[in-house]
Amino acid sequence: MLSSTIGRLTGSDDLALGVLGVGNIGMVHLKSARSMPGVEVRAVADVLPENRARAERAGVPQTYDDYTTLLERENLDAAVIALPPFLHADAVERAAAAGVDVFVEKPLARSTAEADRMLDTAREAGIAVGVDHTLRYQPDMIGVKSEFEDGTVGHVPYASITRLNDGPLGRPPVENAPPSWPLDPDAAGGGSLLELGIHCFDVLEWLFGELEVQDASTDSTLDIPVEDAATVLLRAPETETSITLHCGSYQWEQLPEVNTRLRLEGITGTISNQDHLPQNFYAGAAKSALTNVLRRFTGDEPDVFGPTFYLQAHYEALSAFCEAIREGERPPIDGEDGRRSLELAETAAELAAETNTAELEPVEVTR
Amino acid sequence: MDQPNIVRGALVDTDDHRGGWTPTLDARLSALESPVGEALGPVLESVADEPDRITIVPDAHYPFHPSTGMVTDPAVVGAVLDHLSWRTDADLAVAGVSTECMPFERTAEYLGYPDLCERTGADLVDLASDGDDGDTTRQVFPVDDRSVAVSVPERLREDTVLVLPSLRPTDEGAVAGGMRTLGRFADAVAEPAPTAVAATRAIEPASCLLDATTAYGDEPYAANALFAGPTPVVDALGASLFGTGFDDRAVALAPDATESVTGVEPGSGSTPQIRVEPVGRAATESTDDFEAQLDTLRARLEGGALPPSDDTHPAVSIAYRLYAAVGGDAVPPQLELRGGG
Repeated sequence: MLSSTIGRLTGSDDLALGVLGVGNIGMVHLKSARSMPGVEVRAVADVLPENRARAERAGVPQTYDDYTTLLERENLDAAVIALPPFLHADAVERAAAAGVDVFVEKPLARSTAEADRMLDTAREAGIAVGVDHTLRYQPDMIGVKSEFEDGTVGHVPYASITRLNDGPLGRPPVENAPPSWPLDPDAAGGGSLLELGIHCFDVLEWLFGELEVQDASTDSTLDIPVEDAATVLLRAPETETSITLHCGSYQWEQLPEVNTRLRLEGITGTISNQDHLPQNFYAGAAKSALTNVLRRFTGDEPDVFGPTFYLQAHYEALSAFCEAIREGERPPIDGEDGRRSLELAETAAELAAETNTAELEPVEVTR
Repeated sequence: MDQPNIVRGALVDTDDHRGGWTPTLDARLSALESPVGEALGPVLESVADEPDRITIVPDAHYPFHPSTGMVTDPAVVGAVLDHLSWRTDADLAVAGVSTECMPFERTAEYLGYPDLCERTGADLVDLASDGDDGDTTRQVFPVDDRSVAVSVPERLREDTVLVLPSLRPTDEGAVAGGMRTLGRFADAVAEPAPTAVAATRAIEPASCLLDATTAYGDEPYAANALFAGPTPVVDALGASLFGTGFDDRAVALAPDATESVTGVEPGSGSTPQIRVEPVGRAATESTDDFEAQLDTLRARLEGGALPPSDDTHPAVSIAYRLYAAVGGDAVPPQLELRGGG
């Protein structure tokens, strides 16, 4: 909680945490929290028995099939909300009723209007809201920001960011049915803009300050009800930088390769996130693993998910939230930040809709 | 009707195209109209005489983008529907089957089949055994000196069926082919290859049109070709393009894979020799050019396989878990052993 009641509800030395939803990303949060000093995972909730069983195997003492029951029965300080977006508002409302701070998976909500209602509820209940925008915690993004702040390429008139993956439909070979909610605009709030673009908006404002959306276009490569590709033209007045953002859920992804590209084109050269990633993923992972093993013997804390930088970023984001809650401070990426990224995505979607409509209108031929 | 040992090969005119893929459905339909007619040729005339119903069975197993070659391009299906609707009053249908991984309704919707079918008034049907059209008939066929019992949808036995596979490998590295496309509709206890062969014998498709407009080897390749003929013979051609030949069990087990059809005896270690007759634009170009295109296609596909599974190799998972135990780190969920701790 943001107030001085940070002794928290439990009165325990450890921060008592619940995880609502332990699908893919929820399990990452669960494993992160279980490895976090000063954090105790009391319970998780998930509607799927196989997810609950997986959480039990990970050492969670109590599981529920319904997050409302978990929030009613467990004495928590904070809850991770890793549910589909259409459940975020309800989960925040119930956490607020229980006086439990929340760390919400992105997007914070399906719309700014829904986010406003959630943040009003949180404000009235005095609970803190953090949002899982992880790009800021990735070492490559931190490296880019450091170079940019040091002025290593001078003025940056142009920047570009691209984030691509294969979204819910995946690539061959197919082993599991894809979830339906990410392709349902009512459930997810949108497509790639809310799934991937929202991370990019967050990291761009972190780098360049307040952004203006100037134009956008969206597309669907299949007959699906949400966009799976979006391109946005942005302007950062403070740094006088024009920026293009492209995000898409159409490209087959082969982990550990992750297609996130950020380039800052400056007067004297280019800052690229690729220069801040291991040239060979496996060699970098092996080095991280070795470092962690050595730390174990010197008594230092290991880097959690050390060999995998993108999972490590999730750990760092949740850790920073928990630390803020423990210290009674505002979460480093809070509800207003989450709402702001949502606002930029929403503006882009509106502009794209105008563009798409204009393209469909027949051209009037005059003599 | 198809001649028993000849595959007709047609090329799609790509002179007006930029890049390997044309995103607009209407443009693809337009480009495919002639080559589809040329490839199916006499088959179109003979099936058009069928009084009742003609069902098209494409490779629509999952909503992969058609530009990958991992599914039949819906535009090829649309072009076939167009040809049939011009020639016959028979009812037309496009059939698929739901699996545990994906309901056919979602696959069809994402690939744009509802709109495509609406253009020609064709029905879109899911022949999953628990569906409304799922009545099946059980038959027994001798395959590889064994009796293989298969249950296939009655509808596919009764209808005139055109099977339209894509040119891609399966998860197991075999050619997806027409027989395996039909095999997905079959219920049997036998292994997939004999099941596919028996299902094909039960359904007796009128012809097979192989969509090689985009093929998938280790990557997509815009081959801009179509091949039509008897289903096992077209599959034998597909297997020979991938370099698997008679190592593909379904091809080796097919009753049409005889020496008189394939030029070599199954089990001889040689690759089946399928005679491809160029038709349409492929015929008007020099034979050498068409042969060269086939050679290029073979070179692009030989040994081709699907991407590796997301599942990490067990050895890597074990090594990571050992590291995590020693280094005090967490194991990423993706590296957890299935069903294990």
